[in-house]
Amino acid sequence: MRLVNLRVVYATACGLALAGIVHVATVFAIPALSETDALTRARSSESLEHPQRVYTLATHGEPAPAEAWLPIPDPSVAVGVCAYDLEDGPMRVSARTGAMMLSLAVHGRKGAFYAVTDQAAVRGALDLVVLTRAQYDAALANDDENEPSRDVRIVAPGDQGFVVVRVIAGLPSQRAAANDAVQAVSCTTDSPDEPDPEPAPANPPPTNPPPAGRAKPNG
Amino acid sequence: MVAGTEPAAHAAEGTRRTPRARAGQAAGFVSGASPAALALYALALGAGLGLASADWATRGGYPFGGVAVGAWTAWPRAGSTAADPYTRAVNARRGEVPLAVGEGLLLTAAVDDSGRALDATCTYRVAGITPPARAWTLTAAGRGAPEPGRPGLREGFTSTEILREADGRFAIVVGSEVEPGNWLPSPRASGPIRLALRLYDTPVAASAGTLDRDAVPAITRMGCAS
Repeated sequence: MRLVNLRVVYATACGLALAGIVHVATVFAIPALSETDALTRARSSESLEHPQRVYTLATHGEPAPAEAWLPIPDPSVAVGVCAYDLEDGPMRVSARTGAMMLSLAVHGRKGAFYAVTDQAAVRGALDLVVLTRAQYDAALANDDENEPSRDVRIVAPGDQGFVVVRVIAGLPSQRAAANDAVQAVSCTTDSPDEPDPEPAPANPPPTNPPPAGRAKPNG
Repeated sequence: MVAGTEPAAHAAEGTRRTPRARAGQAAGFVSGASPAALALYALALGAGLGLASADWATRGGYPFGGVAVGAWTAWPRAGSTAADPYTRAVNARRGEVPLAVGEGLLLTAAVDDSGRALDATCTYRVAGITPPARAWTLTAAGRGAPEPGRPGLREGFTSTEILREADGRFAIVVGSEVEPGNWLPSPRASGPIRLALRLYDTPVAASAGTLDRDAVPAITRMGCAS
């Protein structure tokens, strides 16, 4: 009788210890296994050139669309995301600043590692290039000494992540403009090697890597 | 015969709590005391309790990592790479895109200044100043999806559209009855509500621990309907 009870107690203790291990392992595994997290959703986007609309502000005529997946969105901030995969080459995010406040945040798998607002813009243009360490070194080596690049270069800790664009509409009348300002940001993948003299075809199939080409904000 | 009472007690206790229900049944089964059954019992207990507790800890809001500032709680690390694993798991489950440190700071409030939970049937005055920021928004939200059929009058105020007093301070009244000045309608007819203050492009995001309770709006309960 006592032997059985001791064994049950022992098994319970083992079970509780196992529960602790399972708990910790589950919490650590959730971000990688989740199918509803921001990275997975951002990567599912078909749009290659412009941010995927995450939260579009309701304007007078049209309410916020159903594609919004932020749990508690800010009703006066339009949000868009661009997913990047640095295996295809560095990611260039070009934004033109306007009257409304705009911010760009670069998220990796573990969270945001860089953020910049439109106050850092040079002559109304904000150019952000997300690259790996190797791509950064290559870009540095290819720099023209007489014409230094004005890009803000950020070395990403991992290959995959997304860039979040937020535009704040201070007044309800600015909401439509804020939605447009998010869409006006361009996200392009630079070619991994030397900049190609010939741009890639404009409409490649979605399965192919995004078109190589440098998006210059000033045309 | 006497040996059967202990597992039976286990089984009775197990019926009350779901994660242990299977474990309790296993304990009853174990009176035969086969090692394989004991191992199965330990495995079921570990898997059940572990998964259930992980689900509980990552459901809803962030379990910890907040900085209390008066009635408000600031979440400076929710979006950074220094976020704890629970915060990252909560973000992943909700599909949240949290504010980065250089972008802004989120403060939430679920209680008023005297510590009572915010309720939709009550009227609150949110007044004072905010920490320095280029722009801020103050919104009220209820739990879960918005109620169908409730007119979406206004979900929040931004720093641009708010009416201020002569000294730059402001006062927002959150309640279900129309009020003069800055009136923020209750997001629902009843139940708990939460206030969110989002500061954009703010220098305090990097030093949320130094925020004083005078630097955030005070939340005062003015009265309740029933």
